[in-house]
Amino acid sequence: MIEKQTNIRNFCIIAHIDHGKSTLADRLIEKTGAVATRDMSDQLLDSMDLERERGITIKLTPTRMYYTLDGEDYILNLIDTPGHVDFTYEVSRSLAACEGAILIVDASQGVEAQTIANTYLAIDNNLEILPVINKIDLPSAHVNRCRKEIEDVLGIYAQDCPAISAKDGTNIEEVIKQIIEKIPSPKGDINSPLKALIFDSLYDNFKGAICFVRIFDGQVKIGDKIKMMKTDKVYEVTEVGIFTPKMKEMEILSSGDVGYICASIKNLSDTKVGDTITNAINPTKEPLPGYKDVQPVVFSGIFPVDGAKYEDLKDALEKLKLNDASLKFSPENSVALGFGFRCGFLGLLHMEIITERLEREFGLEIITTAPSVSYDVYKTNGEMIEVSNPSMLPPQAEIERIEEPMIKLEIYTPPNYVGAIMELCQDRRGEFIDMQYLEKTRVVLKYNMPLAEMIYDFFDNLKSRTKGYASLDYEVYGFKPSELVRLDILLNGEPCDALSMIIHKDKAYSRGRQIAEKLKKIIPRQLFEVPIQACIGGKVIARETVSAMRKDVLAKCYGGDISRKRKLLEKQKAGKKRMRQFGSVELPAETFISILKTDDND
Amino acid sequence: MTDIMIYVHIPFCDSKCFYCNFSSFVCGEDIKRQYFEKLNQEIVKNTDKNLNVTSIYIGGGTPSCVDERYIAKIIDALKTNFSVSKDAEISIEANPCSLTNEKIKSYLKCGINRISIGVQSLDNKSLKTIGRKHSKNQAIYAIKLAKQIGFKNINADLLIGIPGQTYSKLKRSAKLLLRQNITHLSAYMLINEPNTLLTRLIEKGGIKTVSEDECVTNYNKLTKYLNKHGFVRYEISNFAKDNFECKHNLGYWQLKNYLGFGVAAHSFFDGFRYENPSSINDYLKSNFEYTKNKLSEVEKIEEYLMLGLRTIYGVDITNLKMLGYDILKQKDKEINFLLKSGFLQLNNNHISVNSEHFGVLNQILLKLLP
Repeated sequence: MIEKQTNIRNFCIIAHIDHGKSTLADRLIEKTGAVATRDMSDQLLDSMDLERERGITIKLTPTRMYYTLDGEDYILNLIDTPGHVDFTYEVSRSLAACEGAILIVDASQGVEAQTIANTYLAIDNNLEILPVINKIDLPSAHVNRCRKEIEDVLGIYAQDCPAISAKDGTNIEEVIKQIIEKIPSPKGDINSPLKALIFDSLYDNFKGAICFVRIFDGQVKIGDKIKMMKTDKVYEVTEVGIFTPKMKEMEILSSGDVGYICASIKNLSDTKVGDTITNAINPTKEPLPGYKDVQPVVFSGIFPVDGAKYEDLKDALEKLKLNDASLKFSPENSVALGFGFRCGFLGLLHMEIITERLEREFGLEIITTAPSVSYDVYKTNGEMIEVSNPSMLPPQAEIERIEEPMIKLEIYTPPNYVGAIMELCQDRRGEFIDMQYLEKTRVVLKYNMPLAEMIYDFFDNLKSRTKGYASLDYEVYGFKPSELVRLDILLNGEPCDALSMIIHKDKAYSRGRQIAEKLKKIIPRQLFEVPIQACIGGKVIARETVSAMRKDVLAKCYGGDISRKRKLLEKQKAGKKRMRQFGSVELPAETFISILKTDDND
Repeated sequence: MTDIMIYVHIPFCDSKCFYCNFSSFVCGEDIKRQYFEKLNQEIVKNTDKNLNVTSIYIGGGTPSCVDERYIAKIIDALKTNFSVSKDAEISIEANPCSLTNEKIKSYLKCGINRISIGVQSLDNKSLKTIGRKHSKNQAIYAIKLAKQIGFKNINADLLIGIPGQTYSKLKRSAKLLLRQNITHLSAYMLINEPNTLLTRLIEKGGIKTVSEDECVTNYNKLTKYLNKHGFVRYEISNFAKDNFECKHNLGYWQLKNYLGFGVAAHSFFDGFRYENPSSINDYLKSNFEYTKNKLSEVEKIEEYLMLGLRTIYGVDITNLKMLGYDILKQKDKEINFLLKSGFLQLNNNHISVNSEHFGVLNQILLKLLP
């Protein structure tokens, strides 16, 4: 047993997406024998199918490893972190539980947008940063250029940093050695009252809500009375333990440890991430600083394809929220889609992941509406309302002005794509701020841009224009008045609320036309002609027509064989189940998201 | 006595048409002999003199391509094993190539009183496109012959949507057929089924298909033309002069009992549906024990609607109510919409589809199913 806090190292790994974070985590676990090699599956810490498939980390997954260096036994606690910009919030959560961070840089790609963003986060959290150059097995690896870049761009000494290949296991021991030598041990006081930071939580059907904690001061064991400092709720501890990475029960958790606490907590909402747990009988005076509450920036309506599954969707969202505090949702009622929820996300990837999890983990068929941002609408009567659902925008006459959220956008790119990117940003109402050469082969372009312009396939466009070389980072910095109008889509003369959008006046015409054309392709022919109209404030700006269906029946009957007709009818019946009835028009589920995917060359 | 209809499947053809994906085979005399023996066994096995046969339909394949004595024997066997009604409608399918003087005489002699001739088109180029072996003149000759020797009830099949077929070509075919004083006309839209030679040729390119919309337009024009000449579209794809509606065909849509004999034949009896093996080898080995599926209550309602609405007589809402489905009440909104927009008619306690909208019957059905 290792008792001394001085032999504990708590660290996380930060990196730009795809620089090999999860692979290094796997190698560390393998080298320290935390998991038998036979149990290894690639990317061990990414436990969701979705994470493994996409090669991204979404949830935080801690694991404890043991290592002996120069005759001394050490405990190494790794807290994995998400890499994508949407999950900066979760990154900062794990950082607060650590004393150090391994910063991975891809030897061929060098420093990327997320490398910088995460490094600053780590510096803000007073972490010791340990750079590691990965993927030296690649023919395009430039280790020395990479060292220089880390020093030039990030200002971190990198001459002695390990150059490794997490893929084939080269120099992994060197990383472990430096973790032990360079990352400071926890400095908590074991004799002070308990002070534990909740950095994540999980719901278990048998154990209730499980808190993932970092113990800063004191100790906690079974039978202790603990108190959540935000809610003042008191519980009795039923189990404490560590992550191996599977949960393993322990007798006690002491200052410096990373582990979990179960206390028959019924609601996940009582284990607020960022809250401090203390001893109920001998409480600490000051809670830990915790985290800022995050605000969602992208909103979308989520509805069940089968209206009867509303309650199931509600349950699923509540379960997801249990371990994704950043997900926000509230009930919404749409004429076209029935009952569902308006959900707030940290970004587009976050939205995509939530919808995929709803479909995969909960087996739900859902319809998502085109994402929107939240607008500040100032009414002529002096009132200000926040509108994240376009159909809730008040009539034009009642609006004094509308302000939209603005982002500071940084795009990192090789210089030969600058022209293409500038064109794209200009088209998206971007305001050029600055351009800097980070080095000969890397430029950073800075723009101020409405967030709303980002959520329409901006990533896809950027990727295709730069052959995937550019990366970006953005943050919302405030609101700005803008000439915005509501674009309504009328089907068979009726406005379809779920298809409305708020859009800049100058773009309304072309988008209206695009959407009408797109819908014409998507809406199947029906018994009667369906006119599609795009309107601004009652004025029709584009019109298309889905002509009436002419034939859908098998006429020929071979010797009393009605089974073919039956089969066709069953198929048509199943297809109809997936349709949404809007007035007398039937719409396929994909109608609602398709209008988002209208791209420039469509 | 229970009324029943009988279908007999003759799966043989002299050649396979390019658009055919049905159970039909080109084969030698030996197989044919075995097949008819087996067919006889099947009929004997089902013997029941308490069944009053109201119609017999000998379909294929091409029943006229086999020796007429086989057909006569089958009819004999049916008369021996069931009570065939005196005024039963007895039909046979024939194609223009194989229909001869002797065959027609033999058919009439054994009691066949209705003949259906697979004309498909009276345009030589169209006939070639779909792989029919006969010419326009041969087809006209076959009808003439049947009429001359004594058939009073003659049907001709017509295909709509043959690649290259314009409305004027279609109308010319129809006109020539009417001139022959046929009594019944079946008009089917060509379906490009997978795994047919025609579909493969189309996929390869070079053959330009007629669009579905154009097919429907042509079909509706043809309907009007036939109406003008005394033919009523009494079912989705069948036209007849007054009193010449095919009883057997109507029986399928009116949920009448029928027994099917032969390979791939289907039966509907006492609420059970079942089918014979679809491969000729399986049929020849068969002991005639088939899995029978009893229709559920909902399926009964669905079939009553699905089949009944194929005819201009539509479905009786009292019958539906007896089956437990009060359609006027439960589909009040849908029915109102369909009546108002002219898709449906409500007359005399029957709902029926307006014949010009037969093409979208399934869409209408989907709104009416329970």
